[in-house]
Amino acid sequence: MFTPWEIKQKEMVPPLRMLQMNIGGVFLLLKMLLFNLGTFKMLKNQKKNVYNRPTPTYSIPAYTPEMKHCVSEDKYLRPTLFCDCRAPEVIALAHQLGAYQKTDREYAEAVFEFAKRKIILEQHPIDDVKSILHRGTGTCLHKITVFIALCRAGGLPARYKFFALTLLDEWAAPALDHAPLLKQWSDAMGYFLLHGAGEVYLDGKWITADVGAEPARQASSWMPITKLGEDGAGLWLFPIPGSTIIRESIPLGLGIPSRILMNHLVPNSVAGLNIGILEQIEKGKKIIAEAGGEVAYDSEARKKHKKEMMKNELLKEHENIIFEAE
Amino acid sequence: MTTRDFTTYMKQLNEQLRNYFPSKDVWTPADDAIYKTDDLFRVPLKEAHEMQLKSIKHTFTYQYNNNKIYQNFCKERNFSPSDINTNDDLEKIPLIPATFYKDYPSGRDFATWLGNIFTGQLPKIIIPQKHPTYDEVINAFNKAGMAVAYSSGTSGRHTFIPRDQRTYYTSEYAAAKSVITMVYPLWEPSLNGYLLMPNPKKTNVYAGKVCTIYFDAIQDVKVAIDREITTELIQMTMTNQKGIKSSIVKLATKRQSIKMIDEIIRWLEYQEKTKNKIAIVGAPFILSFVMKKLEKEGRAFNFGERGGVATGGGWKAYEGVRVPVVDFRKQVEKILGIPEKFCVDLYGMVEGNGWLTHCPEGHYLHEPYNYFKGVVLDAENKPMGYGEWGRYAFLDAAAFSYPGFLMSGDQVRRLEHCPVCDRPGPVLEPEIKRAAGAEVRGCAEEVRRMLSADLSQDS
Repeated sequence: MFTPWEIKQKEMVPPLRMLQMNIGGVFLLLKMLLFNLGTFKMLKNQKKNVYNRPTPTYSIPAYTPEMKHCVSEDKYLRPTLFCDCRAPEVIALAHQLGAYQKTDREYAEAVFEFAKRKIILEQHPIDDVKSILHRGTGTCLHKITVFIALCRAGGLPARYKFFALTLLDEWAAPALDHAPLLKQWSDAMGYFLLHGAGEVYLDGKWITADVGAEPARQASSWMPITKLGEDGAGLWLFPIPGSTIIRESIPLGLGIPSRILMNHLVPNSVAGLNIGILEQIEKGKKIIAEAGGEVAYDSEARKKHKKEMMKNELLKEHENIIFEAE
Repeated sequence: MTTRDFTTYMKQLNEQLRNYFPSKDVWTPADDAIYKTDDLFRVPLKEAHEMQLKSIKHTFTYQYNNNKIYQNFCKERNFSPSDINTNDDLEKIPLIPATFYKDYPSGRDFATWLGNIFTGQLPKIIIPQKHPTYDEVINAFNKAGMAVAYSSGTSGRHTFIPRDQRTYYTSEYAAAKSVITMVYPLWEPSLNGYLLMPNPKKTNVYAGKVCTIYFDAIQDVKVAIDREITTELIQMTMTNQKGIKSSIVKLATKRQSIKMIDEIIRWLEYQEKTKNKIAIVGAPFILSFVMKKLEKEGRAFNFGERGGVATGGGWKAYEGVRVPVVDFRKQVEKILGIPEKFCVDLYGMVEGNGWLTHCPEGHYLHEPYNYFKGVVLDAENKPMGYGEWGRYAFLDAAAFSYPGFLMSGDQVRRLEHCPVCDRPGPVLEPEIKRAAGAEVRGCAEEVRRMLSADLSQDS
């Protein structure tokens, strides 16, 4: 339990903008469900989607008390909601990944690659870092929590970056095609409510870290395999202007709504979405193999992506378009 | 009554459509080709090729200089206006994939995207909504004097094109001129028309919108679908959405569709009785359902050379079933008494302003080759010769407000000359297919999806 002082100090109070967007999102979800009772009923009676969670491809090493870890109570280095950087599992894993053995950058890169590659994307209610590590799956928020906890355990300040976003169709569609209600919700909103990325403090600068996309999933849409310091923005996601929030902690109040939505309201759609994600990963693996391995694939994808950079130019603000409702 | 010669016929048309002519200050070589040529399909080849080179090069240079996105696209392919010296060089112009105009974001980003595609000075667009829908963005653009329109595929994904009024007028004029040329000497301002498409004033679906000129070309036009058509409604029908709202829409549509067929038949009866000349324009499947109903009731009309039919937008009738084009013409002759020569089809796209039109003699699709160049591409997007099946691409000198150098999703066979008539330019065989992987599309397809479930039950 956190004290009110900690809640304030550790930035767990959801900012107004986030609250407004979430309330708007819930309202649209209810409206969408109300206007689509037929589909809702049909999906309830539909054959259940059976999602088989992949087994983690790593094991958590045994913790020993002599493993060095950060005990600072400074901002961005201490435990926060769902992100207990002093949990034995986190410390043991940090030790295995090279905390206090490698340079800061090398360690941050190792943590980045672990969170990006080993924790597989799965729509799942928000829970804490220990559960995530044992399960090996989670949303972008779970994945970035793993990154931040491991960074903090290794003495590197790390923080969250949240924003609402739109996604490239080719990126979101394969998963959403399995989840018609969620697709309608995102269509009704025109954007996705929340994406969680992060930043780590290295060499006097905050370096961006977006661990949400596994290499194979990026390959399924012929995207470059992003590294620490490379932004997903402009690649497969487009932040909604003005929605970015930087925080030490995940805000309070996301856990219960995510459980209600995913476990009770649309569990079958969520399972469908997760099946779609695994299919995307399989597709990407084939593409990487056909390209001659990850290095060859990445080099080809970067060349190709350069040609598609005009997509980003198309979203640059236009001086003659005035949005009155700023 | 004596028949007007072709020059007088076209002169009369130009007088009737005077408002569609661009002003002198924006006049380009493409306008010389479109407005100053009496017959777009009979320009001698040498003269046409000169016009084609001049007009496409001029428009390409304009796009290159005024559209940063397209300029970068060309620079990455090491191509600039100075690389165009002959007609063959035109085939090297970088072509935008058909999916480009479909790959758009939503909300405010959609407005920004649309504005950035636009070539030239965008008027001031004011968007009052915080999270605008597609229709709200389009309406804001159109309120500022633009003519943004769209078409969509079976997925409900739209193709949005930011036309300005000038490009829109030219496109409309070219469409009207193409048809009226081919049905010479049928057209006259006193014709009575029936538009088998949505009311152009109540939709931004391009198939409907481009028909606005129909109201100016002839005196009295009735509209088959006189209700507002929005992107939401189209998405609902194209993607077969379920839900209360969707069911209500479909129920209302069913009643209107049945009424629509009866109204068209009543109109035909009146025109026959009064011996009026008629011109029916629009989606072929609607007329097909009208004729089926008439045939079922054992009825027929005899309009003869007092009537004409111009169709466009695709030939799908039901899911997976096409209206056979040849049978359609024979049916028009049998049920309406309109000769096959006055039953022509147009092939065009929301992205283009060149209208390939059936010749009355052989019903091959003729390209307006003095300002519009078709190219057929192989699997690697390399140009192929005549007579081969491949993906259709085009270079459109009349696309002023957006880059109109595009690869379509259609599979065609292009011939150097029409095998039947003596018009000198290239043609497409009437049978057009969708390329593998491209979704079924066609402006009539949107209308068909809105109506066909109900119409097919009645037929």
